[in-house]
Amino acid sequence: MNVQVAALLGQDGLTNGAIYALLSLSILLVFTVTRILLIPLGEFVTFGALTMAAIQTGKPLALEWLLATLMLIDIALDVYSRRDRTVSRKQYQMIALKAAYLAVVLFVTQTFTLSELPMLAQSILTLCLIVPMGPIMYRLFFQPLADAAPLVLLIVSIAVHVAMVGIGLLLFGPEGGHTKPFSNSMLQISNIFIKSQALWVIFSALFLILALFFAFERTLYGKALRAAAVNQVGARLLGISPVFAGKATFALAAFIGCASGILIAPITTLYYDSGFVISLKGFVGAIIGGLASYPIAAFGAVVVGLIEAFSMFWASSYKEIIVFTLIIPFLIWRSMKASHVEDE
Amino acid sequence: MKPRILIILVACVALLAPLVLPSFQITLLNYIGLYALVVLGLVLLTGVGGMTSFGQAAFVGLSAYTTTYLTTTAALPDWLSWTNGSPWFGLVFGLLLTAAIALILGALTLRLSGHYLPLGTIAWGISLYYFFGTMTSMGGHTGVSDIPPLTFFGLILDQGEEMFYVIWVILAAAMFITHNLLSSREGRAIRALKGGQLMAEAMGVNTFRSKMIAFVISALFAALSGWLYAHTQRFINPSPFGLHMGIDYLFMALIGGVSSVWGALLGAGTLTIMKQWLEDLLPLILGSDGQYESIVFGLLIVLLMQRSPSGLWPFLVKLTPSSWRSNNHLTIDDNAKTLDRRDLPARESLLLEAKDVTRRFGGLIANNKMNLSLHAGEILALIGPNGAGKSTMFNQLSAVDTPTEGEIIFRGKSLKGKNARQVAEMGMSRTFQHVKMLPTMSVLENVALGAHMRGQKGVISASLHLEREEEQRLLKEAKLQIERVGLGEYVFEEAGNLALGQQRLLEIARALCSDPCALLLDEPAAGLRFLEKQALAELLVKLRGEGLAILLVEHDMDFVMNLANRIVVMEFGELIAEGLPHEIQTNPAVLEAYLGGVE
Amino acid sequence: MSLKSRFLLLGCLLSTMSVPSFADIKVGVISSSTGPIALVGIPQKNSIPLLPKEAAGESITYIPLNDSSDPTATVKAFKKLIDEEKVDAIIGPSGSGNAMGVIQFAAKSGTPMLAPVGTAAVVLPMTEQKKWVFKTTQNDDLIASALVDHMKRTGVKTLGLIGTADPFGENWSKVMRKLASDNSIEIVANESFQRQDTSITGQSLKLLLASPDAVLIAAPGSSSVLPQTTLKSTGYQGQIYQTHGAALDPFLKLGGDAVEGTILAASLMLVLDQAPETPSKAIATKYVEDYQSLYNKKPATFGGNVFDAGLLLETAIPTALKTAKPGTPEFRAALRDALESTTELSGTQGVYNITPEDHSGFDERGRVLITVKNGKWQLLEG
Repeated sequence: MNVQVAALLGQDGLTNGAIYALLSLSILLVFTVTRILLIPLGEFVTFGALTMAAIQTGKPLALEWLLATLMLIDIALDVYSRRDRTVSRKQYQMIALKAAYLAVVLFVTQTFTLSELPMLAQSILTLCLIVPMGPIMYRLFFQPLADAAPLVLLIVSIAVHVAMVGIGLLLFGPEGGHTKPFSNSMLQISNIFIKSQALWVIFSALFLILALFFAFERTLYGKALRAAAVNQVGARLLGISPVFAGKATFALAAFIGCASGILIAPITTLYYDSGFVISLKGFVGAIIGGLASYPIAAFGAVVVGLIEAFSMFWASSYKEIIVFTLIIPFLIWRSMKASHVEDE
Repeated sequence: MKPRILIILVACVALLAPLVLPSFQITLLNYIGLYALVVLGLVLLTGVGGMTSFGQAAFVGLSAYTTTYLTTTAALPDWLSWTNGSPWFGLVFGLLLTAAIALILGALTLRLSGHYLPLGTIAWGISLYYFFGTMTSMGGHTGVSDIPPLTFFGLILDQGEEMFYVIWVILAAAMFITHNLLSSREGRAIRALKGGQLMAEAMGVNTFRSKMIAFVISALFAALSGWLYAHTQRFINPSPFGLHMGIDYLFMALIGGVSSVWGALLGAGTLTIMKQWLEDLLPLILGSDGQYESIVFGLLIVLLMQRSPSGLWPFLVKLTPSSWRSNNHLTIDDNAKTLDRRDLPARESLLLEAKDVTRRFGGLIANNKMNLSLHAGEILALIGPNGAGKSTMFNQLSAVDTPTEGEIIFRGKSLKGKNARQVAEMGMSRTFQHVKMLPTMSVLENVALGAHMRGQKGVISASLHLEREEEQRLLKEAKLQIERVGLGEYVFEEAGNLALGQQRLLEIARALCSDPCALLLDEPAAGLRFLEKQALAELLVKLRGEGLAILLVEHDMDFVMNLANRIVVMEFGELIAEGLPHEIQTNPAVLEAYLGGVE
Repeated sequence: MSLKSRFLLLGCLLSTMSVPSFADIKVGVISSSTGPIALVGIPQKNSIPLLPKEAAGESITYIPLNDSSDPTATVKAFKKLIDEEKVDAIIGPSGSGNAMGVIQFAAKSGTPMLAPVGTAAVVLPMTEQKKWVFKTTQNDDLIASALVDHMKRTGVKTLGLIGTADPFGENWSKVMRKLASDNSIEIVANESFQRQDTSITGQSLKLLLASPDAVLIAAPGSSSVLPQTTLKSTGYQGQIYQTHGAALDPFLKLGGDAVEGTILAASLMLVLDQAPETPSKAIATKYVEDYQSLYNKKPATFGGNVFDAGLLLETAIPTALKTAKPGTPEFRAALRDALESTTELSGTQGVYNITPEDHSGFDERGRVLITVKNGKWQLLEG
């Protein structure tokens, strides 16, 4: 191994690590607010990447109809749950807003030749198609289980993942997808080449992480959202109900997942079932962060990316074994640090 | 005995099944049996013990690969060649290897708390799965075929119908063992793991050992399933041992009802048949141009969990006539020998002593140079206003917490470095300020947990119910103590149904069950009605008469004043007064502490 | 009613629910239309409507089942077809491992099994059990020898291998190690990767550092693309070879510029327009057109393997009908014998000449060398 190889592996590890970091942050966020381990996060990544790929190759999209179905169910539930209460003007507005959103999205997907749109527009459209699924997922699957035992939440989370993988296969097929890079150029620093797409990933991830940090550490609203799990009264004072907090974090997780998918789609091939492994690595990061600390989780996720890159080089057959065995010491360390009065 | 009829009926049906059912249904039943075996382990581990594992599939694989290695390798190394390719040695080695690996993995991961444990099992589950794929000598990802069938005294069991009997007999044995184990002393300790670890430790239960027992047993059940799988399927490759199968096993456990032995069977059956159904029906409904199975399957599980989070079995039980469900399946033999009691220390001898105990939390001093002593045959009360540091003191006396300076001496030995369990073994027993018990267990079993240390019989005799004599002695002791504290009519009641005051009495009965020489009671009278308080006071006086040393932390002044021999008063972490009740009542420092000073 | 008997009742209901069919000949088709090898299984499942509907006046019914790429489910599906549907033959399953696990049941029940899988292990070495298995794909060594010939011609001395960590990649690594040493080509690096890996930089660098004259990528379907794009972007200049695993159109789409100049060996289905006029070409052309009109996309070669299995059955059934009636063990045995004496049958993949020793029966007419030129498949002459 020489410097050049090490630099390339490092670049690779950092790129993947940045994605894992983003994912582990959204896992943490969802967990701290709702106590749900969001296993289907990986599916947002693959949906994002594969939708983008489908748009670029001019394949007919089917995702908008999934979104339409889900949103219609959501609206129907809105109407149903208010059937015997007087409906406030605000609630009507909300329903109308949802319907309008759906109409606009459908209009766009049906009228334009999507593959000819600029890449930025394609990305935004992909996000618009996928992000609303986050809160709807929370509402349909998790909201009725707000008081359930952690194990039940975990099982439901996995079951949702299973269903979404099935939907992924149905919508995108088994072939896998790959998109055009945002830019194709290579930077050269002395004799080390750096892919500009890798820089795109790293810097976008960094930007998102900082934005998240700012939103949740520096704004009152963000703090209240985070506090919604522990301090419902305080959160309510700012107009945040636990349900809203759940929906908001799921929307954010869907956004981050989808954005991660769009970011890495140009440098890899993603399949309908790639999401699980990717989100597992995000989980590893979140665990290293003790399911509590955001900076340590991000750092841990980057370390996972790096370990992965280097073990691929040294012992490709044993890569997964190395990555997953290395978590165990971290787990033990974390568990020893955690206070020991579990019970209750 | 309705449940017995149910069992006999099931056994008869099972016996006849291969004679009447078409071969494919037998194949399905075989798989259901194989899955149920693994899920049974999960019931013990997850449902009863509260530890979630995604790694069971890896144990299945471990034993399947072990037996495959032994039975298909042409030239075994010399030290193994005597096994001669016999599947039965495959079983022995599979079980041994699985137990060994489970012990190692358990030692590493069972101490993990909360969500760390399931994620830890995912980690080693995945590692083992990929490891199977890297063994090129075992066919890598392609797999190994031509695994020999089982032979039994010359009989070759290569038909599905023959394997059906093997699988279901083993499953029945495993269910029998699990059932026995759960209604034994060791089983109670495992049942206490979910939500009662602190209490169990204080009753002398080695909770880590109990966790390990549940973990190893569940791994062994998985190993049995793997061995059967290898010789039924007669082909293996890594894919049935991956994480997705580990997830499926958990699905089965939760669908069936994760906390009951029958739930394992129900879950394995429901999931297998559900998948089969989806495969047959969905193409008819939705057309065969899509792959809808996994979508509908996932959604169905979500729906089931939303409608019946504790699974189908409890739901079915509710449908049965209530006479079938009496929770009194324990019998107590009143003629059983009473348990041996320890020799109590001589009356008035010093039992427990605190010497200059100081406890700091950061800059905060919770206890400052506290001294107190407790003698056999006396009741000492520790009182003080809120925040005086009584609970901290209590925790240190009972070895839950360690002093920063100074030491606690119990029966002549320092408690430094001792944990709650060791202190319990030395003869100290306690109750908790916030009642800690297992609400879904009967009062009898809750109290019998206190007598844990007084039994010796281990897991093997428990699972075969060879320890019934000792068990009867333990239960009899528990019943005696329950009657003693005045809960005689609630012996078989679910503990969670008791009123708060009664729950406190239950805790005292449990503590007495451990045959202590020192009894530490944390606010025993809180929540009791007047008459109950009187009864409690009488009981404590009687215990004192027998030579027990009793330390009370209490708020109720009247209760304390009429009962205690001596009283120690704390304020701001320090001792402000010590003496006889009437001295304390007139002590100005005490009055000031309680009443904010005399004007 | 006890729970168990409820189960049994459910089971019985289940068995009565499968639609009774009045067809004379029943063929089960097991494919993996979900799970890791869905890519292989879906075109196979999609080809079922294109299979021959009748042979010698007897109609043929196909019973499709999905095994979700899980060998245990394959066994279940197999037993269901044999015990419940009493099929006369089975086409499938899609995966090599899945096929290995069910050979014993095919043999025990005496049901001919036509396996559209890659690994030669299902028919070689021939055993009493494997007598019942016929393989409708080219053996890996047949494809490999075409590649190795090309390597020898172009003076490749050192070769790097990278394959998926699955039966496909494993078998290729085995076959290539043998063929390479026979032809004095040195394998200087042998790496593996997981299909779902998002990055293969480590393996690519390892290959690059070994600086082989050529690299062979052995991966099924679109997973063959990422190693190649990564190799190119890390600066590998040598020739890149692919197996018939890459022989599908998404390979071109996903690979773009990076797969330009790739050489692979596969059946002529990819280059029908350039292929010489042979009976195989006509059959393949018709198959591709029919498939396209049904699904609006081109089939992957995996689908053709199932289609050929149908052709084999169509040819063998008339002979078998002379000795026994469908639905009987005698018919199945006769069908097996008839399949074993297939001669000069042209299918989409090549020409079948099945003998008791060779149950795959392809010769060099079963593969051509193909390259990628200007983003299109191009027949490589000579």
